[in-house]
Amino acid sequence: MKLLDIVRLIFGNLNRRKGRVSLTAVGVVIGTAAVVILVSLAIGLQKNANEQLYGIGDLTQIQVSPSYGQGEVVYSGGGGGGGSKSTSASASSSSAPGAPKLLTNKALEDLSAIPGVMAVIPRDYMMGGLTLKYHRLESGSNVIGIGTDDLSSLGLEATQGGVVLAHGTVIIGPMVASNFYDPNQRPGQQTPAAPDLYDQQLTFVFIKYDQNGNEVHKTLTYRVSGVLAQTQGESDWSIYMQLDDLKVLNEWAMGRRINYNKDGYSLVIVKVDNVNNVLDITDQITAMGYQAYTPQSFVKGINNFYLVLQIIFGGVGAIALLVAAIGIANTMAMAILERTREIGLMKAVGATNRDVLSIFLGEAAGIGFLGGLGGVLIGWLAGYGINVIALVYLAQQSASQGGTPPSVAVSTPAWLPVFALVFATLIGLASGLYPALRAATLVPVQALKYE
Amino acid sequence: MQTPFIRISNLTKHFQMGGTTVRALDGVDLDIPQKSFTVVMGPSGSGKSTLLYLLGGLDRPTSGQIAVNGLRLDEMDENKLALFRRQTVGFMFQSFNLIQSMTAEENVGFPMQFAGIPSKERTRRSKVLLEQVGLADRGGHKPSELSGGQQQRVAAARALVNNPNLILADEPTGNLDTTSGIGIMQLLADLHQSGRAVLVVTHDPRMVRFATHKVFLLDGKVVSETEYRAASLE
Repeated sequence: MKLLDIVRLIFGNLNRRKGRVSLTAVGVVIGTAAVVILVSLAIGLQKNANEQLYGIGDLTQIQVSPSYGQGEVVYSGGGGGGGSKSTSASASSSSAPGAPKLLTNKALEDLSAIPGVMAVIPRDYMMGGLTLKYHRLESGSNVIGIGTDDLSSLGLEATQGGVVLAHGTVIIGPMVASNFYDPNQRPGQQTPAAPDLYDQQLTFVFIKYDQNGNEVHKTLTYRVSGVLAQTQGESDWSIYMQLDDLKVLNEWAMGRRINYNKDGYSLVIVKVDNVNNVLDITDQITAMGYQAYTPQSFVKGINNFYLVLQIIFGGVGAIALLVAAIGIANTMAMAILERTREIGLMKAVGATNRDVLSIFLGEAAGIGFLGGLGGVLIGWLAGYGINVIALVYLAQQSASQGGTPPSVAVSTPAWLPVFALVFATLIGLASGLYPALRAATLVPVQALKYE
Repeated sequence: MQTPFIRISNLTKHFQMGGTTVRALDGVDLDIPQKSFTVVMGPSGSGKSTLLYLLGGLDRPTSGQIAVNGLRLDEMDENKLALFRRQTVGFMFQSFNLIQSMTAEENVGFPMQFAGIPSKERTRRSKVLLEQVGLADRGGHKPSELSGGQQQRVAAARALVNNPNLILADEPTGNLDTTSGIGIMQLLADLHQSGRAVLVVTHDPRMVRFATHKVFLLDGKVVSETEYRAASLE
């Protein structure tokens, strides 16, 4: 029997029983629509979450910090006052168990040697207090000393000036200017607008306390050589200066010399060539004994969560499809009872068991396909409707509460309707298997005599 | 000596009904020559329909041999039996067995789908056959719009569609009025005249006048006409 004839016969037979086929297909429509809507919703939620997450930093970066090991803890001082705590292990780069792993220059070389690592950039924070001054405005800020001359290696871009750090200059985040305020502003007076700091001289007033608790100031000026583009991350609110510049300031604040070879860096950024290598390299660094953190492990965790959510949501829809499958099986079993004589006739005029099986399996799959088609259409339209309504609502929420509105609420990828349609058809096919097998194996003479 | 078209040897067919075994056919031996018009007669339960279904490959014997045109039906698997039914046999039933949702023309063309004959050729051959059975103008009608006699003519056209050598008819006039019944008998006689073997199972004594061969069945056994008449009078 030709495929086209089988298809024609199948749809002719389905058309004969429009009412019953439609009612049976409604179950499949509901199930398929549920799968499409719920999985689209889970994908939409994941997309939104990822959009927010990508603001937490460049995903090709790994933050490496020293590990202070599990060494024997020695309490000095004692008594009720709570003495200081330190580990007994020496600050060597020995890999003995429990020894601290410091981020010395040697360690930086080791990290650079890992395949796939593009750059190893040490960084440090400002120790001690700081007040920024620009004309009559003041502000506080987060100062980062960075061991590279070129901030583009951290994936940062400038909207004004450049990203190359020279001695005596700073590059500021886009939100730094908005932190400035007038300390002498009187009530009722208008708040000054954020100044344009590019290419301006900023006065840094560094503050420390001497042994007697007196405040000691040190004032330096730096030229702002660049303003960074927004990343929605730490860089937006930070001021970058050369690590050597910061080291001098920290030495002043602590009152002693800093030897990175002995003390190690507090944090190192490892830049990786490809986002796919990040987790692997993170594992290698951890195996070397350092603490490594990448936003990607967090993103991966979140993605896993949404994958589970998609499976659960898809499962809820699949339950509806399962109920529909029982409906199809019932309809097909009824059809075979009603058409037993017809099956007998088919066999009498030369249909093989395979022909009969194909026809009845095809009819069951046809119900699944038609229901799936309706379900995909309704699911897609409903998703579109939800998007329109939800985005208006969420945009209002964001407007009143701040923050960026989500770009999408329900997201239907191209593969989902195709998958849902194929799945619904397969469900139909599977439901029809038992009734169709029964039909195919009927003894012709018994089928012809069936009353 | 010429090999008979149909050769049946020691054929038995038993059914289990409740706890008892019903011997529908009990050791039947029969030879039927080529191009014969055979009428099988017998009372209800004599096994005549069972014989027809076994000859048509619609059922399997309990034991014994059936050969049609040299093909051993008792040795065939399901697929070969389907092919046999498609190529060698055309059936007519008492209740016509037409598909109600199809037109007369579609009903006639239905068996050709399983033979993989293209749609155009199916339509052409259906029209020719409907004309042959005198229903040229009724091709677009559904069975419910046709009389009993017309429905049986459609069934006859359907039986001929794959050009079989053997026409098997199970009580073809059983559901028809006298006039329609005679018309169908004449149609069967014409089919026989066209060179086909025809085997009719019937209660209708009028059919006997067309027969070249008569087979009488009593309690699953072939008997002589004399024995049959004697038993009928009892």
